[in-house]
Amino acid sequence: MAVPLKDIEIKEEYPKTLLLEKHIKFIKQYGQSENDFEYGMTDYLRVSGMYWGLTALELVDKLDSLPKEEVIGFIQKCQDPETGGISACIDHDPHLLHTLSAVQILCIYNRIDAIDVEGVIKYVASLQLPDGSFTGDKWGEVDTRFSFCAVATLSLLKRLNAINVDKAVEFVKSCMNFDGGFGSRPKSESHAGLIYCCLGFLSVTGRLDIVEQDTLAWWLCERQLSSGGLNGRPEKLPDVCYSWWVLSSLSIIGRLHWISSETLKRFILACQDTESGGFADRPGDIPDPFHTLFGLAALSLLGFGDIKQVNPTYCMPQYVIDRLQLKPQVLK
Amino acid sequence: MHGRLKVRTTEEQRLLKEKEQQKKLTAYQTGMKQILSTRNPTSYDPKSFAISAQLLVVNPDIYTLWNYRKEVILLELDKSKSECKDTIIDNGICDEKSQESLDVTKGLIKFLENEIRLTEQCLLANPKSYGSWHHRYWIMEHHPEPNWQNEFELCTKYLTMDDRNFHCWDYRRLILNKIGMSLEDEIKFSTERINVNFSNYSSWHYRSTLRKLDKDSLESEINLIMNAIFTDPADSSAWFYLRWVLSNPEMTEGHRKQLSQTLDQLLELEPDSKWCLLAKCWINGIKKGENMNEDQIEELTENYKKLLILDPLRKGFYSHYLNALESKKLNNA
Repeated sequence: MAVPLKDIEIKEEYPKTLLLEKHIKFIKQYGQSENDFEYGMTDYLRVSGMYWGLTALELVDKLDSLPKEEVIGFIQKCQDPETGGISACIDHDPHLLHTLSAVQILCIYNRIDAIDVEGVIKYVASLQLPDGSFTGDKWGEVDTRFSFCAVATLSLLKRLNAINVDKAVEFVKSCMNFDGGFGSRPKSESHAGLIYCCLGFLSVTGRLDIVEQDTLAWWLCERQLSSGGLNGRPEKLPDVCYSWWVLSSLSIIGRLHWISSETLKRFILACQDTESGGFADRPGDIPDPFHTLFGLAALSLLGFGDIKQVNPTYCMPQYVIDRLQLKPQVLK
Repeated sequence: MHGRLKVRTTEEQRLLKEKEQQKKLTAYQTGMKQILSTRNPTSYDPKSFAISAQLLVVNPDIYTLWNYRKEVILLELDKSKSECKDTIIDNGICDEKSQESLDVTKGLIKFLENEIRLTEQCLLANPKSYGSWHHRYWIMEHHPEPNWQNEFELCTKYLTMDDRNFHCWDYRRLILNKIGMSLEDEIKFSTERINVNFSNYSSWHYRSTLRKLDKDSLESEINLIMNAIFTDPADSSAWFYLRWVLSNPEMTEGHRKQLSQTLDQLLELEPDSKWCLLAKCWINGIKKGENMNEDQIEELTENYKKLLILDPLRKGFYSHYLNALESKKLNNA
């Protein structure tokens, strides 16, 4: 009668220890050349890709292995002098997603002076609509992801006052659902990625008081499946990136202990690629920098000794957040 | 990169694949160069426009290309307006008196319909591309004669193919305002979707957004939930919905009793159903709040202890409530 739950099986041969050296090699090699297929075909997400790889390396204390000045020079070229926004790559258009990634990278390097900060602030503020929501760029797509990008960017630049925060909170609040979760727009279904964005937003703006803490925490802890992995919505397959979205969300609302750390660790470790290094979404799939960052960041939240402490709101090394003297709110 | 299985290949296969990939990469880079070199604010190159469509069908996430196409569409809209500048125009439609104007409008509509078809092609290849969905809505908003009804029917069709695609649900919600669907129709639609597949969290969610529950609707919602959980007690969707319904202030003691009895029947059939035990905890825990007597505390404690064993992944969650009960016991004593 019962339909089998959607899940995967953790096989005995899957890796059980952290293959740190391989991951370092994987990230370093990724993007050595524009002629590399995966890399060359993904220029439209380059700056975010750089943030994933760079943060992953910094979490394992190997940031030095990347050409810092080259990275900063590249980001400078991606800033649009007219709007102030930052694009994914030279010749692409500015977008809020990449603007945040660029600011995150520069904060990690402690080199925010490298770009026109006033331009960035002007750009972010220009994307707020009268109802408080944010569009991703000038073409009008509204999404709570962009609300998070906006306040995360501005708070890293210490300029949260450049936008109407109360209105922004009002919009995010209007996206809360019957299950305590959040979706991309009012009445959109709850989704762990968007829950992270909304909790991150509320953490930055200090408004976690509007969250139904235990209703949401229960929905989040129900994302854990027998394999130990977490999915993003009910009845979906587990995926390493949700290890991050769900775990950081639980961290922000003080309920990390509502899931089983040990089985989640086992799942994340099983998603490592023993040949090339890097993490995939699920065991046996192709690894990429995106899942590698979120795998490592999740392991950091689970208290893995070899990985630096990560901040659950910003997905950046905690020491960078401390250096900026930011104190994103968390619930007890 | 999601759900892409790593396949082991021989050296020969690897070289062949690499060659193919180099070809694709060169095509992509040459195409992008061509498009960007001709991109300008006042005119466009039809060849570049065609290439951008080819590239988007392969990868609809190249957001700059959607932006480029929007710029071209705006140029076409402007052109259509200026070509009928002698006649009355409204949103790109010319005054119907002149044949020339009619042709201009026809041309514009044909252009936009092609664009809509492109998004459809992209969505069939990748139904979860944010860019394609937004582009489609954007065109519809700029269309002089938008056929929202057609969009609505397409949504219904897509949701029958994949009833969990939240992009499609979101699109449906945008369209509802345009065609003025009635609430009753949408409730009916969600009931239909749920009856086709109880394990459809998206439909349950959709239902929760349609109306505030009152005394009358509570009754029917409880019946729908009971139907679902007796059909498949292991599926989580209806249980989440139940928790929400239980938190409704219109819930009466009568409702709670009726639910509790039904859950007891289910527990007899499925003694290890964690959902059923948890639901019992909610019914007894919620509302009763402060004035729980010792027996009730004892029963709740027993249930949570059973849950600890049945569902060890969420030990921390159950312990949280067990601790709360423990301190309540101490307070009572």
